[in-house]
Amino acid sequence: MAGLTVVIAEDAALFREGLARLIESRGHRVAAAVPDGDSLLDAVDEHHPDVVVADIRMPPTHTDEGLRAAIDLRARHPGTGVLVLSQYVETRYAARLLEGSAIGIGYLLKDRVADVADFADALERVAVGGTALDPEVVSQLVRASGRADGLATLTPREREVLALMAEGKSNAGIGAALVITESVVEKHVASIFGKLRLPPSEADNRRVLAVLRYLGA
Amino acid sequence: MSLGLAAQQPGRDDRGGQARLASALAAVARVPVSGRAWRELLFCLATVPLGLAVLAFPAALTGLLVLAAGLSAGSRQYRARPSDAAGFLGPVVIVVLVAFVVLIVLAPPIGRGLGAVHRRAAARLLGEHIPAPPAVRRRGREAPMAWVAATLRDGPGWRAVGYLAVKLPLVLLEAYAAIVWWGAGLANLTYPLWFPWFRNHPPAVRLSPVAALTPFGVLHIDTLPGAVVAFAVGAAMVLAAPWVTRGVVLVDGWLMRASLGPGRLAQRVADLEQARALAVDDSAALLRRVERDLHDGAQIRLATVAMNLGMALDKLDTGSGQSDVAVARDLAVARDLVSNAHQGAKDAMAELRGLARGIHPPALDNGLADALATLAASCPVPVDLTVDIPGRPTPAIETIAYFCAAELLANAVKHSGAREIAVDVAGQGERLVMRVGDDGRGGAVPSDGGGLTGLAQRVRTVDGRLEVASPPGGPTRVTVSLPLHA
Repeated sequence: MAGLTVVIAEDAALFREGLARLIESRGHRVAAAVPDGDSLLDAVDEHHPDVVVADIRMPPTHTDEGLRAAIDLRARHPGTGVLVLSQYVETRYAARLLEGSAIGIGYLLKDRVADVADFADALERVAVGGTALDPEVVSQLVRASGRADGLATLTPREREVLALMAEGKSNAGIGAALVITESVVEKHVASIFGKLRLPPSEADNRRVLAVLRYLGA
Repeated sequence: MSLGLAAQQPGRDDRGGQARLASALAAVARVPVSGRAWRELLFCLATVPLGLAVLAFPAALTGLLVLAAGLSAGSRQYRARPSDAAGFLGPVVIVVLVAFVVLIVLAPPIGRGLGAVHRRAAARLLGEHIPAPPAVRRRGREAPMAWVAATLRDGPGWRAVGYLAVKLPLVLLEAYAAIVWWGAGLANLTYPLWFPWFRNHPPAVRLSPVAALTPFGVLHIDTLPGAVVAFAVGAAMVLAAPWVTRGVVLVDGWLMRASLGPGRLAQRVADLEQARALAVDDSAALLRRVERDLHDGAQIRLATVAMNLGMALDKLDTGSGQSDVAVARDLAVARDLVSNAHQGAKDAMAELRGLARGIHPPALDNGLADALATLAASCPVPVDLTVDIPGRPTPAIETIAYFCAAELLANAVKHSGAREIAVDVAGQGERLVMRVGDDGRGGAVPSDGGGLTGLAQRVRTVDGRLEVASPPGGPTRVTVSLPLHA
């Protein structure tokens, strides 16, 4: 996929420039790269990007400006994907981001930009309405989940598939990550949904929500 | 030395002595009209009604007891011949006794309240600032009995009650100073003014003498010269009155300091509580700063390094199957990215090193003297360093002393324009005393949230002191005194 319009909000200039360069190297257009939440909202009003990449902690208070801007954006521009980056992941923040729907939402550790292809994949997924949750968030959710009994019924492979589903990956993406064919993935998914008694759903992001709800997010 | 000169000497001395005597007399004469004398008089006048009001308290207590005793005796009489009154008097006795108990329970809070009034009067009129004792410890909304128990155990409240009791005789002395020495003294001054008016009677008439009050008895005056004597006595009394007042007020001030303040133990507890709060805040602030520094510094640099390397890898991976020109271009981009990452990694290392040193300077492992020498050597202004400490202080003290020195040197370099800085560290008994002085322009003021205030707070967490002497124009002298062992 190519030709997405992207707006970046990140207060550290070095990282902001690197991010812009990375995104442009994947054939996308960075319409604006701004240092704080307010100018992010202005830039989105002006450029109508496909996807926004925002740091959580930005001036002036250095707490959760990026998160609040992302939640604002979802209300004002429902068609714009929002990928939130952070140096720590907090399941509480993930829960706030995913409140109601998982369409066009991403929440990743900053470390993930080091794997350029994966990061670009997550960005593109979010831009078209998919979900990208950091593996760290998912493993925190699994660890804290009150459903240990249900999870214990899954095979190790199925648990891997479940985690990748929770991250928002498509069957093709899961297949690529685990080096198995899509039909095998489908079988695993069906088995997981059966064992956990989840309602079967076709759309990836509905599937994400179902899994996350099961985990108690 | 010539004789003439010697002869002149005593004369000059004499004149000097006269001048000194005159100025001393003038000083004595000025005392009664000084603000201090009047404020002390005002204090006496203000506390006399207060002290007398306190008398109402024991009076009420005794009154209630007598009433209770009388009533119960009465009710026994009535019980002998039954009537409605017996049933009525019993409850009244109980009510009176309850009132007595209530008064006892209320004594400490009332004492505290009156003590506060005295402290305010002392602060306003005598310039004697006595800190308030700590409030009674109460655990939120508590049961009435718990409230009563806590009130009865209120040490400072009872001490204030004690002060008010001791104050009663003192009130008499204060009234004596105010009324006899000041009041009568001033009245005596007026005698020669009005005496001739009332005494212009025919010589045959004999009038009884007029009384003039003095501290040593009553003067009976029936002649004008007598009135002049009254005036002279009055003048002497007014000259002496400020000293009498001051004496009484000094005693009262001593009593107030001893009994209306927080008490030594309570003061110590309050000091320690404050120091502990400062220490907790200080360490929380330090951790927050370290986290912020890591987040905004090394962490973001490393993330950028990883990103650059990731992009470089990406360029190198896609190299196969492309034209040589495209491969060469990708290689050049990759090289550029790796070079960025290399620089970023070095920056991150430098930043981490700085951060680590900010948390704990490694040089301190070899003792304060070495660490300070390293610090002095890296200071852009020449530093004259002397360290003379017998043993090694505890690590916490060394760390605080080191950071004080670092901050003070940085301040001196940044603000004072000094050409030389002297740092002197010495062990004095159980204390470590560090003096940092510079020849700069001075004018350093510990301001809210400023570096000096932060240092002073840090020093106080271990019972230390930081004193700043920095007159405008310089020089600046900062003295830090810390216990050797915290």
